[in-house]
Amino acid sequence: MRKKVGIIGLGNPLRCDDGIGILLLQYLKKNEKVLSQTIDFVDGGTSGMNLLHLIEDYDIIFLLDAVDFKGQPGDMKKFTIDEIKNQKLSLSLSTHEPGFLSVIMFLKGLDKIPKNLLIFGIQPKDMSYGMELSKELQGVLPKLQKQILKEIQSLI
Amino acid sequence: MSKDFSVHVEHVTRVEGHGNIILDVKNSKIEKLQWNIVEAPRFFEAMLRGQQYNELRPITSRICGICSIGHSLASLKATEDALGINITHQTATLRRLAIHAENMQSHILHIGYLVAPDLVGAGSVFSMLGKHTDTVLKIVKLHRLANEMSDLICGRTIHPIRLIVGGFSMQPTEKQLTELKKRLLEALELTKELAPIIQSVSGALPSFTRETEYIGLQSDDEYALYHGDIASTDTGRHLKYREYKEVMQEYLVPQSTAKYAKHARDSYMVGALARFNLNSKQLHPVAQEVADLFKLKAINYNPFMNTIAQLVEFTHSIQDSIYLIDSLVDQGIKQEKPIKPTKKQGRGVGIVEVPRGILVHDYTLNSQGYCTKANCIIPTNQNHANIQKDMEKLVPEIINKPPNEIELILEMLVRAYDPCISCSTHYLDVSFK
Repeated sequence: MRKKVGIIGLGNPLRCDDGIGILLLQYLKKNEKVLSQTIDFVDGGTSGMNLLHLIEDYDIIFLLDAVDFKGQPGDMKKFTIDEIKNQKLSLSLSTHEPGFLSVIMFLKGLDKIPKNLLIFGIQPKDMSYGMELSKELQGVLPKLQKQILKEIQSLI
Repeated sequence: MSKDFSVHVEHVTRVEGHGNIILDVKNSKIEKLQWNIVEAPRFFEAMLRGQQYNELRPITSRICGICSIGHSLASLKATEDALGINITHQTATLRRLAIHAENMQSHILHIGYLVAPDLVGAGSVFSMLGKHTDTVLKIVKLHRLANEMSDLICGRTIHPIRLIVGGFSMQPTEKQLTELKKRLLEALELTKELAPIIQSVSGALPSFTRETEYIGLQSDDEYALYHGDIASTDTGRHLKYREYKEVMQEYLVPQSTAKYAKHARDSYMVGALARFNLNSKQLHPVAQEVADLFKLKAINYNPFMNTIAQLVEFTHSIQDSIYLIDSLVDQGIKQEKPIKPTKKQGRGVGIVEVPRGILVHDYTLNSQGYCTKANCIIPTNQNHANIQKDMEKLVPEIINKPPNEIELILEMLVRAYDPCISCSTHYLDVSFK
């Protein structure tokens, strides 16, 4: 049986560089014919725990998101969940808080975490309110789009 | 013995949106007590200016990751009001299903993942796994159905795409709706199993009361979520929806960068408990049974019961969705095209109930159909003053408890309102092994 592959973009295009994951997702969807198999393209936005059921549905997930790994703006880092040090989980005062890592930890507890989950993280610079990327991210966007498309192509 | 202590819940999230609880007590007297919102002013209204009318809905659906359907519907109603569009009965029915899907999604998320851990004495939902796995799995199953219902009606689990000006870009088929109804019937049975479980631990909810004003939509025809007049438990119904600012009087306070709101008193509450207090007689029977199980009766002045009102509404949304699907199937689903604007210029106001309360979008469009002015009043901002006033009455009543218990009760109070304080970004902040 063919494996179910999902590409999930996260973030908010109303918060400048936080929208990078959604922009990359839109580019990949436009180029879906280049990818050899049926893939779901999922706009995960900023929906926190509502991501739960989207993630558990897939055998392979590629996640696109702004990630602060203290790199240079526009740097891209590819990593798995196991490579991340334990993070403080935020599910405290409001259901609006939990991010992707909290969802993953919860799925781990339910033993429903997908075995193949790869994160393409882009270092953001500007997370203020606005619908445009910072100049740094605008400059590297075309290169990032092609690079991620090529990498996903080689991995599926 | 006089007592000195401080409770500072400085909830530092990765971005600027967060809420702090600050309590300083000296010689058993409260020196400082603040519900303190640290949030950059939201610039969404500015982003809407200069946008063409078709773009307003997709932009506003990004304001909140949990209430994206509600923002979409408020936005569409405001746009359609400005452009003289009268939607069809089928569109209105499908939109009612969309709002039920979101209400179910958000309420079960709040009850199951945020409040249930307080009720069973677990630190978080992560710690509930093991001892309470069966209950968690019930919650996960109900949450999944709500997500899939949203997917079916709106085209996505989150950030809907099928909701457009004048109608829907695509309608679900009769077969899909019939299948959904079957699952909703199963969900109703599952909710009947879940309600007594929650009830058995609901004694952990503090028995606190403070009289306040409750504001929400009200309609003669239904338990109002999608449409109705603005109503208050103090002053009754207000028929001029365009003059919503007469009811929702926003103002600034020094301790918060988010706005506060008041009407007939110093503060008012919006959300599930407000709706229940205004409209409980219009609940469907099983929802009424759930309310009876918890002895929840209008008017209830305990803000901690907001979570129970959410469970009642969750049940109502399932039952009402079944009823709406039956009516759609009876009439036959038509593939309707969206209704076109009759004018390009005007002011429009859209008001809906979203999980956290009454939400207003107000747009002015110019002769080319571009937005020149926008105003959004979100439920969380309307609740901030009420949270502050609740704390001012609550703390003297619990001041003799140990500080850690006081801290937990104050956190539970904020959690009961489930404020939208930090959902607008969610970038990952990581360090590697």
